[in-house]
Amino acid sequence: MNQAVISCLHANLPAVEAVLKDIELQGITNITCLGDLVGYGPQPNKVIELIRDKEIPTCQGCWDEDVVDGLDACDCSYPSQLAEKRGHFAHQWTTDKLTTENKDYLANLPYSIRKDKCLFVHGSPNSQHEYLLPDMDAFAALERVENARAEILFCGHTHQPYIRELADGSIAVKIKNAVPKDTQEKEIQLPMRRIVNAGSVGEPRHGGTKATYVVYNDVTNEVKIREVEYDIELTCKAIIDAGLPPIFAWRLKNGFEFAEQAEDASHVCER
Amino acid sequence: MNLFKKDLKKTPGNITLFVLGDMIGPEKNCNRLLHRLINPKSNDLQPWCIYGWWEEQILLESGYRGDQRAEALRINKGEEVVKSLTNAVDKSFLDWIAALQFGFVELDCGLIHGSSKDVGENLTLDTPPLTLLDRLTRLQVNRLFTARSKQQFHLELTEGIVNSEVEDLNGNRKKEQKVPQKAVIGIGAGKNYTLYDVGTDNTQFVQAGYKTEKRIKGFGRL
Ligand SMILES: [Zn+2]
Ligand SMILES: [Zn+2]
Repeated sequence: MNQAVISCLHANLPAVEAVLKDIELQGITNITCLGDLVGYGPQPNKVIELIRDKEIPTCQGCWDEDVVDGLDACDCSYPSQLAEKRGHFAHQWTTDKLTTENKDYLANLPYSIRKDKCLFVHGSPNSQHEYLLPDMDAFAALERVENARAEILFCGHTHQPYIRELADGSIAVKIKNAVPKDTQEKEIQLPMRRIVNAGSVGEPRHGGTKATYVVYNDVTNEVKIREVEYDIELTCKAIIDAGLPPIFAWRLKNGFEFAEQAEDASHVCER
Repeated sequence: MNLFKKDLKKTPGNITLFVLGDMIGPEKNCNRLLHRLINPKSNDLQPWCIYGWWEEQILLESGYRGDQRAEALRINKGEEVVKSLTNAVDKSFLDWIAALQFGFVELDCGLIHGSSKDVGENLTLDTPPLTLLDRLTRLQVNRLFTARSKQQFHLELTEGIVNSEVEDLNGNRKKEQKVPQKAVIGIGAGKNYTLYDVGTDNTQFVQAGYKTEKRIKGFGRL
């Protein structure tokens, strides 16, 4: 059966509506959301209410956590000081606009959702703020999936969709200086694991302007990245009307958001 | 402690003494030991100390970590142990404890109490190699010295390989990743300590009071 995984909606209602329509047209009813319902975008309440109405199981994202708990992220959340300033502005704007009911909803979202061999998280099993970038150290990536006791890890947060397969791994170990003196050697086979990043519905960072999400077939194990067009002008106008930084509209329109990604892929969030 | 220092004095060569945490504990008064670590005698080795799990507990309990208190300790060991711990250490030492580092990185060696993920993490021979590799990667070192498990071991990760295939909107890319030789070394606790020779990459597991001969660096947990 096909299921859809969406992430990083970022209060962009036209994008969320377009993606949900695309999912519906494929006859998919099983949807999981990896959080970041709000932040950057102009329609936080409407997006939350749409997800609540449709009863889509959702994990808590980094923005969802921060608007409830206050900003408390380690430096890795923002790629530059300028981005941080704009992020703080959007954070305050969102906190002011959200209804108490919607804040409560975000506060009570689970950190992760487990369905059979699949684990759904926002950033990584360690933290909502940790980036699992597509080319991060393969062993570290495998460790995240394996220690979470999953076969497929679905994540978002980087806003770049990808499917990564880690296979045919092994580690050889040798016990040195053992008592009794015989050195023991063995080779441990590592299991095949996958990381699937759903990208972003409302704030793409893949260089283009289309919203992205993924479709996973739990029978064939196939994963497909979907790109969806939506009415960007509508969102951009709403951003300007709301008094949010115009650059948020500009980068959505030009697909330039990818210029601002976390620089250090090996950084482990210490939050 | 005295036995231990006498031992190291007899060990020839240039020795750097690292103390990987848990200098304190709830069992006995720790003030004399702390005083000696902070003010080594003229012929003592200068100890390089980091904080351990018990140091973390007393810092938590003494309000050095915001609103948090040593709740995990309270739940697991009871109020009595929390009291014994705070009684065992004079308040005048708390600032020194709070200034201790989480770990040291010397050459390509990382020295920590538990792991690079958590001061309370036990790394042992039974820890999955993938986890050990991750803890090494987090510190970007090739040798990781750990004390928390109290065990003495020298586990070499001699070879690692994994194939990675990434598919994104730009297409597919494959990469084979290998790891160079790395090791995790459990240094022991109490009377047991470890001598490490940087030149030969050999360890020697020692019990204080027994004779040793080589030119090595010592890593100990008290
Ligand atoms: Zn996001
Ligand atoms: Zn995020």
